[in-house]
Amino acid sequence: MNLILDLLQQMSVFLVIAYIFTKSPAFRPLTSETMHPRHKVLLYGIFSTFSIMGTYFGLPVQDAIANTRAIGPVLAGIIGGPVLGIATGLTGGIHRYFLGGFTATACGISTTTEGLIGGLVGLALLRAGKAEQRFNPWIALVTILCAEAVQMLIIVLVAKPTPDAIVLVQTIAAPMVLANAAGAALFMSIIRDQRRMYDHFGALFSAKAFELAEKVLEILGPGLDRTTAAQMAHLIHSWTGVGAVAITDREQILAFVGLGEDHHLPGTPIVSPLTQRAIEFNQTVFANGVHEHFHCSLSSKCPLSSALVVPLHIDNDVIGTIKLYEPRSKLFLNINRSLGEGLAALLSEQLVHSRYQEQKSLLTQSELKLAQAQVNPHFLFNALNTIVAVVRNDADQARDLLLHLSRFFRKNLKRASDITTLEEELDHVRSYLYIEEVRFGDRLKVEMAIDPALLLIKLPTFTLQPLIENAIKHGISQLLEHGLVTISAQQHDGGIEISIEDNAGACDQNNEDESDGLGMKIVDKRIKNLYGIAAGVRLDCDPGHTTCVTIRLPLQPSMEDSI
Amino acid sequence: MIRALIIDDEQHAREELQVLLEASGEFELLPPCANAFDAIKVINQQQPQVLFLDIEMPVVNGFQLLSMIDEERMPQVVFVTAYDEFALKAFEEKTLDYLLKPVETERLQQTIIKLQASLQQGTTPYYEMPLLQRIPCRCVRRIKLIDVDEVESIFSDTSGVHVHTAEGDNFTDLTLKVLERRTSLFRCHKQYLVNLDQLDEILLQEGGTAKIRCHSGQSVPVSRRHLRQLKEQLGL
Repeated sequence: MNLILDLLQQMSVFLVIAYIFTKSPAFRPLTSETMHPRHKVLLYGIFSTFSIMGTYFGLPVQDAIANTRAIGPVLAGIIGGPVLGIATGLTGGIHRYFLGGFTATACGISTTTEGLIGGLVGLALLRAGKAEQRFNPWIALVTILCAEAVQMLIIVLVAKPTPDAIVLVQTIAAPMVLANAAGAALFMSIIRDQRRMYDHFGALFSAKAFELAEKVLEILGPGLDRTTAAQMAHLIHSWTGVGAVAITDREQILAFVGLGEDHHLPGTPIVSPLTQRAIEFNQTVFANGVHEHFHCSLSSKCPLSSALVVPLHIDNDVIGTIKLYEPRSKLFLNINRSLGEGLAALLSEQLVHSRYQEQKSLLTQSELKLAQAQVNPHFLFNALNTIVAVVRNDADQARDLLLHLSRFFRKNLKRASDITTLEEELDHVRSYLYIEEVRFGDRLKVEMAIDPALLLIKLPTFTLQPLIENAIKHGISQLLEHGLVTISAQQHDGGIEISIEDNAGACDQNNEDESDGLGMKIVDKRIKNLYGIAAGVRLDCDPGHTTCVTIRLPLQPSMEDSI
Repeated sequence: MIRALIIDDEQHAREELQVLLEASGEFELLPPCANAFDAIKVINQQQPQVLFLDIEMPVVNGFQLLSMIDEERMPQVVFVTAYDEFALKAFEEKTLDYLLKPVETERLQQTIIKLQASLQQGTTPYYEMPLLQRIPCRCVRRIKLIDVDEVESIFSDTSGVHVHTAEGDNFTDLTLKVLERRTSLFRCHKQYLVNLDQLDEILLQEGGTAKIRCHSGQSVPVSRRHLRQLKEQLGL
């Protein structure tokens, strides 16, 4: 009777350790449906340890050890299959063997056999498609009852002298069978409960993560700006419970919600080196607050100390970041880290999608405007009126004018989606300018400074023409005299700059009406679509003096050899 | 013969219209003008009966030019433009006619008939014009548009009409009468307009006259006749 109490007491210690085990990261493999080989190795280690512990906690009885060694191999077998069962049993068995005593061999053999029995039960359940039943405590109980019975049999058969063995079995059989069975069943029930909790928690988390993702995507619909950024930041902040959430573009904070929002104000330029690194290298930057700290450069009282910065990107262009922060008093949870990364990936996908949509509509839009540009009535009728006048005095010049007009309109018939070269664009523009120079007489002079090495660089069709038309229409035509348009294309600081400058300095020339053909904004977008966001169109205006539109392009790979 | 003035900023357009008008034999042509500034001067000095007026011109366009012309001397107006359907619709009823460039001889003939009929009636055309926001002024070798709000006073003497701002004096071709009617400036003297928003104080003087001191310290006389109106205007 004392023996059974002692064994139960021993089993309790055992279960406490088992409980702690299920709370530790080592338990993780048991929560997933499929097991990797390295997880099996881990389980082997753990269950072997349990088996050996069972031996050590055992009580010496008549030169033998009453113990709970069998629980490890049997459970390992049920959960991990015959191989794991035998391996665990063998380990526990060999260990027992070296402890000596007249049952050493018998126990060694029986522990291995018990592992095998567990394994066969596990295999049978898997084969029958009842994988989940492997974690049923009752099955563990029945299995270990059988296994222990087999062990007793083996002791009687193998241990010598046999009479001693029989006496031993009579003493220990009942307590050991009971203690092992109860222990195995309880252990298995702890494992099962823990698994359920993980499943439940996981399912709950996934469901909410999807819900969050869906809402965030909905908000992002119109694109990333201060309003949508603020809504997303609020949502992510309230959902994750992190200290603070920020969303930035490449230059400034778009939204900041949570701790420190009093000094991290939207519109503030980005100063954090972490964010700058994330943007520059298009990579996730994590300062866990232990090895690497987030240092707020805006306020010394900022409570934030750990930060995750995930870049938002379209293709390879980083367009902003999502940042999650925790204060000094809190650890940055892994779950929030993976959530942050996942959200950023999702948002990036969405941005690519909206960029694609935008490009599609942009194309239609520009085709539409192009249709108008093809018959720009002002230009056409003024040109015709000029020709009507010129033909009275100078038939040759009238002929030149008509040929240029014809050439200009022919080139206008190209599709807006085509890519062309600077040379062709200049050609198109020269016809236009020839006509305008005759029309305006000495009120318009055109100068060109084109680097011949750049003639073959690629441009979207109708890049120069609308910009030059703007310069004439809103600039030169508003000057009483001495109008000058300068067109230049030069290499500049590792890039290419094409500029169109007029000396009117009419700064509101981009308040253009619908009939103005392809406006500067569209040219800018089309350039960016072709060359990425580093390229684009810039307007500089010195009121009353000059207006300069500059197209900046990266140096093109095909050119780098020749330069 | 009808005394006509062509106003167009493009030389070829001017020449072409000149040829067409001469060919009709109905016109006595004044030297054409290339912009609104030259045109105002010519209109004020030579009083053409009809303007062939381009709409799109630098700094001051055709519509704006009309609001700078003295109402009593308002000539008939024929707009000549390459393509301005929408803008023209609004003016169609108010102006005599419009021509589209390039101008067809037959179409011009209709305009001439209309024009002759209108001139025979002898009525001065009246166009409802918005207030002037800016006053064109001549400086040395350039033209400047001065915001009416910045003007302190305007006065005329034998040398012309002077627009006075805190920065100094400028000369304009617009008449005092046009400026009085088409701006919010107040007539305080036969030869003076004053901007009441720039008024600092009124110094009453013997004989029922007064002097106004503007922000910049400039002094503007108020005649007896206008002092009463000034007081009414200011609610004194």
